[in-house]
Amino acid sequence: MHYLWDEMTLTFSRTSMFPFFDIAHYLVSVMALKRRPGAAAVAWNNPLSSWLSAMLHCFGGGILSCMLLAEPPLKFLTNHTNILLASSIWYIVFFCPRDLVSQGYSYLPIQLLAAGMKEVTRTWKIVSGVTHANSYYRNGWIVMIAVGWARGAGGVIVTSCEELLKGDWKPEGNEWLKLSFPAKVTLLGSIIFTLQHTNHLAMSKHDLMFLYTMFLVTIKITMMITKDTTVTLAPFEDTLSRMLFGWQQQFSLGERKREAKQSSNGTASSGSKRITEDAGSGKRHAKKED
Amino acid sequence: MDLLSALSLGELALSFSRVPLFPVFDLSYFIVSIIYLKYEPGSVELARRHPVASWLCAMLHCFGSYILADLLLGEPIIDYFSNSSSILLASAVWYLIFFCPLDLFYTCVCFLPVKLIFVAMKEVVRVRKIAVGIHHAHHHYHHGWFVMIATGWVKGSGVALLSNLEQLLRGVWKPETNEILHMSFPTKASLYGAILFTLQQTRWLPVSKASLIFIFTMFMVSCKVFLTATHSHSSPFDVLEGYICPVLFGAAWGGDHHHDNHGAPHGSGLGTQHSGLPAKAREELSEGSRKKKTKKAD
Repeated sequence: MHYLWDEMTLTFSRTSMFPFFDIAHYLVSVMALKRRPGAAAVAWNNPLSSWLSAMLHCFGGGILSCMLLAEPPLKFLTNHTNILLASSIWYIVFFCPRDLVSQGYSYLPIQLLAAGMKEVTRTWKIVSGVTHANSYYRNGWIVMIAVGWARGAGGVIVTSCEELLKGDWKPEGNEWLKLSFPAKVTLLGSIIFTLQHTNHLAMSKHDLMFLYTMFLVTIKITMMITKDTTVTLAPFEDTLSRMLFGWQQQFSLGERKREAKQSSNGTASSGSKRITEDAGSGKRHAKKED
Repeated sequence: MDLLSALSLGELALSFSRVPLFPVFDLSYFIVSIIYLKYEPGSVELARRHPVASWLCAMLHCFGSYILADLLLGEPIIDYFSNSSSILLASAVWYLIFFCPLDLFYTCVCFLPVKLIFVAMKEVVRVRKIAVGIHHAHHHYHHGWFVMIATGWVKGSGVALLSNLEQLLRGVWKPETNEILHMSFPTKASLYGAILFTLQQTRWLPVSKASLIFIFTMFMVSCKVFLTATHSHSSPFDVLEGYICPVLFGAAWGGDHHHDNHGAPHGSGLGTQHSGLPAKAREELSEGSRKKKTKKAD
């Protein structure tokens, strides 16, 4: 039994990403690009720009990790087959007669299949990022986590920068500061794989890859079926953030209660007022004193 | 006697330039940098809502100089993050400043005498970073004067030159508030320091590196402590610039804002008024920009 399991995970971890999983990844990325308002019009008017955006969507994580490690950001262009594959997918998605591909993609099982396969490529990317960073920095576990994260989920950052440069989007609200679900999961995975790589986790790599991929795929598919974006991690995160970052609020809540009890005295309120005043004057001095 | 004092001064400078920075001086650098992050409007709210973004911002404030210098010299920009102990120290400081119960740590650190000590220690780190940056650039480009100056400047001024990126991380996008447009005192001082250290490195300045570090550190510490103590944003270079800039960049440099008011005196050639005007205009100009900034901060 144990032997079988080992065999299975080992073969799984040796699966080549090249034709099918990569196709799924490119398909999902390019469809995400196409869903943006105005993307189809851009493709008709200015195919080159649209192609460039598509490439950034497909290879963004790799570009970001190359930039972090001071490798040429255009390194992805040397991989001709992948570029050709991604370009042909971009072509059929945008210019297929009668929009056949988009219509086919709107069928839910196909979407689920493609999304599941895309999540598989994510695991592979994280692992390759972590090992790649490890070849530069033996003991730099923060670097390993960051590069794994960038390779797995950095595409979002690259594409938002692209939009920012094009002027389509302005970071007025804080939406983009909020980590998206894939970013969080990728961070988690990156930490886990780094721990495994530095031998802090008593588990073989292929087992871990299998388990993590299963976890990713199931979460993604349940999220897509239930159309719910706040599955699974939310309660865990809530507790964690209350534990780590909630100190002040709890204390200030307690203070407020005490204050309400001894409303006549008001020392606590004056203290807190002084703090806020301090903060206010600090803001006034906030000019870059650095 | 004279010789003895010179010897001891040289030795003092030498031993001063060999003091290890890591735990204490670096700690105060992190503390002061993150205090400035907390001064920025909206950063407390940000830390509560998006801790990861806030942490990244704090890291930029602490290590922005290394990141930018690595970017300029084509080294991995994530290079400094392999220094786990520094990162952990800075993260701990970030956590304490933003999330300490009752804001205890922040209030202690912001107590003026304590803050002055930290500010002084931060300047020590800054000067040392400029010197190291120039040495590093000299290693790559032996005759690259401008490379050396640029690297030293970037190392000294830190996050200020990255302010747009840092604002973007906080969800603010104001391309018009650029550090290069409104250079603050530390940025200017770093630039001048970088020039001095480059001259020293290429042997145009007949002093030893240790004594230059010592003298420049003393200058920076006294200026910065004075400025922080008086809560002023003016810089000691203002007076000098008031004299030099009109000569170099023409009379219109300081007076263009008042041109319509003072058109006649310019024409009649009143020398004294002419030399007095630019400094005054500058003062008013900086007043105006400060007001603009306050408005933005509120």
